[in-house]
Formats: sequence, structure tokens, C-alpha cells
Amino acid sequence: MSTAAKKSLSLLQFLLTTWKLNLAGAMEFRMSFSISVGTMILNNFVWVFFWGIYFTKFPLVNGWTLQDVMMVQAIGNGAFGVAAVFFGNFIGIANIVSTGQLDTYLAQPKPVLLNVLVSKMTVSAIGDLLFCLILYGLYGVHTGLGLAKFLLALLIGAAIMVFFNVLAQSLAFFIGNAEGLGFQVFNAFLTVSLYPTNIFHGLGKLILFTALPAGYISFLPIGLLRDWSNSFVWGAVGVALGLALLAFRVFRIGLKRYGSGNMMTMRM
Amino acid sequence: MDVSREKTLREPRVSSLALQVAKYTAVGKITVRNNLAYLYDYLIRSLFLLVILYIFAQLWRVTYDGIGTATISGYTFEQLLWYLVFAEAMVLSSPRLARRIEDEVKKGDVAYQLTRPVSYLLFQYAQYMGEAYVLVPVHLLVGGALGTMMFGVPHFGWGWIGFLLISVGAFTVNFLLNMILALTSFWIEETRGLEFVYYKIVFTLGGMLLPLEMFGGTVRQIADWLPFQCVVYFPSKTAVQFDAGEIGHMLGVQAVWAAVLTVCLTLIYRKGVKKLNVNGG
Repeated sequence: MSTAAKKSLSLLQFLLTTWKLNLAGAMEFRMSFSISVGTMILNNFVWVFFWGIYFTKFPLVNGWTLQDVMMVQAIGNGAFGVAAVFFGNFIGIANIVSTGQLDTYLAQPKPVLLNVLVSKMTVSAIGDLLFCLILYGLYGVHTGLGLAKFLLALLIGAAIMVFFNVLAQSLAFFIGNAEGLGFQVFNAFLTVSLYPTNIFHGLGKLILFTALPAGYISFLPIGLLRDWSNSFVWGAVGVALGLALLAFRVFRIGLKRYGSGNMMTMRM
Repeated sequence: MDVSREKTLREPRVSSLALQVAKYTAVGKITVRNNLAYLYDYLIRSLFLLVILYIFAQLWRVTYDGIGTATISGYTFEQLLWYLVFAEAMVLSSPRLARRIEDEVKKGDVAYQLTRPVSYLLFQYAQYMGEAYVLVPVHLLVGGALGTMMFGVPHFGWGWIGFLLISVGAFTVNFLLNMILALTSFWIEETRGLEFVYYKIVFTLGGMLLPLEMFGGTVRQIADWLPFQCVVYFPSKTAVQFDAGEIGHMLGVQAVWAAVLTVCLTLIYRKGVKKLNVNGG
């Protein structure tokens, strides 16, 4: 086996072990785990209620049906679920940097950004993932192709969500305490990714596909699931890859500026 | 010395009710002053409200354009957006009691609170109202900025007075419901989940996401029989569609719920305070 293949295998083993341990840690408190997951599913069903009421009065939102809007909810919540369950620190980097907790990761023989990202699992986000699957069960296309497209949409959505927020969070390397700003950016990004893109016009729509690229997630149910559009799908894949490369690059540049906080931390 | 003469020689008497009112008003005033110190923080944190309202504005603009009518369920587009501004402001301005009391129980601070020469429930109520009335203007200012940009300065006239009046009942009912939830921390450790679920009910059956007129049918009937409409729907509706005849009905419903919930809260508190086992402190 070549060295590169060995390294990849070792990295994969590291990721799987970390996720397994994160899940075991979360499951330690069964009651708390169940409440967190359950309340998150309930929280998301509020939007099913909202859209359910909406569509009883109005049959379409600018051409989008109830099924399309439910798939927006499924992909948006699912993308967040994948991001927060498997890469839970994607919205915690600013805090880690500004409080000097990055030292722990720097001392470990693993890729720093990847290690930071996977070191946390947001338990309640398992509820988002389950909610996503429930919606797919209720409104999705249940064929092999339908499932493959759904998983591809989730993958693209999660990648855009993780790497866009890594970029926003990495501002902490350059401006100091970017926790508040990062949280506001994340909130805005997640919120707009849960609404049909066609309700936005003009500047709002332009922002959705540039500065705050949540439009590439919320348009997936149309551009990928319903009417496969080559230009949109390749555009979304390109944005996901571009954001990933940019996020790794910016994080690397940021690391060079990072000063230790002299804080003693330990990873259990 | 006769009895009447003796009475007049005593210190001037202030009724005990007036003293009680003065005491809890002072608690409320201190809370207001404490919270005013963080006004700038509140303003920054409430900017997210603009994102939510912007999205709703876009959604409802498309909906009104698509339907082609000036009103939906009795609301014009302008009235609906202002309704959402008031509704969001009411919810965002309600202090999260369960978190505070859960922390007090976990850290043991509740022991100090309970031994103070004040009623624990009235003390919490005064604090709650003080904080809520600092936050409401902040959220109305931020949300109102978007409304004013879209439709110009609103002319609600009596609606402002009506909102102010109904908001007192709304915050009171919300306090009572929240306090009942928060007191469960005397029995169980985690109450945030309950609070989370509670606010989801307020979002839906309370009329935060949609005015109750939009529901129709059984859902509307259920909402009418529950206290959650007192918290969001009543004040928001009063602000944008003031109707003097409705005010009496709304105040009456709020008063009935406040009375029922006060009895429940008092009973739960009496039972809980005997059960409470404080660690730490």
C-alpha cells in the first residue's frame, strides 16, 4: 500500500473513532440525549405546521409546491444536521481561537482544522438529521435515483454550510473576538437556507448566491431534486469545493497569526 | 388616653398594600436600571430580528401579489408585516425564566432568594416585567425600522395605547405560564426542554408566525380555548387593528387566565418549596 493510501486510511480511522466516541459520550446521559433530540424534532415540526397552514390557503409560492418547500426544510435541516453532528465545531472555531484553546489541537499529530471540526458533536442536531429523514420519507421520491439525488443534495448542502461558516469563524484570527459576528452570520445563513429562493428578488437574491451563498442549499430541491439542471448542480458543486479550498487556505493563513492564549486545556 | 387619641399619636400609617406595591415596584425599577446598562448589547443582538422580518416580508409580498387581493384574512400586507413586528417583539422580549431559575436551583442561589423578606413569586414577577419593558422598545425599534422603511411611519393611533394596555396582561400570563414551567426545576434538573417546547406552542397557537384568523376551522377553535393567544395574538392584533369593543373582551380573557394560572402557580410553589433540596450555594 502506498504512503498516501496509508495516510488516508489512518485519517479515515481517526474520523470514525472520533465520531464513535462523540456519540458514546452523548449517549452517556440517555434522558438528556432523548430530550435534546426530541425537542429539536418538535422544533422543526413547527415549520411543517406553518407551511401546512400556508398551503391550505395558498396552493403555490411562486410556483413552488408544498412538496418542494418540505424538501427545502429537509435539505436545509439535514445539511445542518450533518454539519453539526459530524463537524460540530464548524460554528465554534471563533471561540476556540479567541480563548486560546487551539493549542491543544496544534500539539496533536492530526490535520488541525479537521481535528477541530470533528472534536465536537452537537447532540440536538441528531434531531435535525432524523427530521430530515422523516420529511424524505413523507415527501421525497422513494426510488434508487431519488435517494441518490437526495444524498447528493445533503452532501453538497452540508459542505457549503460547513466551509462557509469556517470562513466566517476564521475571522477570529484577524479581528480577535469574532464569536458574536460568526454567530450572527451562521444564524442568517441557516435561516435563509430554509426558505424558497424564489421569494427573494433583486439585491436579496444576489446576496443569496454570492456573499451569503445559502441559495445554493435552498435551491437544491428544485435545481437538483425536481428538475435536474446541469448548470445549477455543477455550480453548487463548484461553490462547495471552492469554499472548502478557501476555508482550508484562510484557516492556514490564520494559524500563522495565531498567538497562544497560555490556557491549559485538555481533550478527554 | 382613649384609643382614638392613641392611634393619632402613632407614626403616620401607610397601608400594608401600598408598602408591598412600593417594594416590588422598587425591584422592577432596579431591574430596569440594570438592563438599561446593556441597551447597546440588546440592540446588536436583536439585529437578527431584521433577517427574520425581511424573509417574512418577502414571503408575504409574493403571496399577496400571487393572490391578487388587497387583504388576506382581514389583513393588508402592511398590517400583516406590522403584526409580525409586534408579535416577534413580544416573544423576543419575554425573559427566559426557566433558564434563570434552573441555574439558581443548580447553583444553590435559590436558597438566598427564598430567605429574603419578599415573596419569591412577586419578586420574580417584578424582575420579569422590568426586563420585558426594557426589551420591548428595543425590539419594536429594530423591527419597526424595517416596517418604516417599507411603509413609512405607522399611524396606529389608539393602537399604541391598546398595545401598551394589553401587553401588561400578555406579559403577566406569559410570566405565570413560564413560572409554572420554571418551578418544575424544583423536581427535575432540566427545564429548558420544556421551555423550548412551550415557545413552539406560542409560535404556532399563540399567533406569532401567523395571526389566528389565518388558521380557521378546528385549529382556530383550539387556539381560542388556550391561554397562548393572550401572549402574542392579543397585543399584536390590538396594535395593528385597534377595536375599542374588543379590548374589554381581551382584557377579560387575560384576567380569567391570570386568575386560573395564579392559583395553579401558588399551589405548585407551595408544594415545590417543601420538596426543594438545595445543593451547593
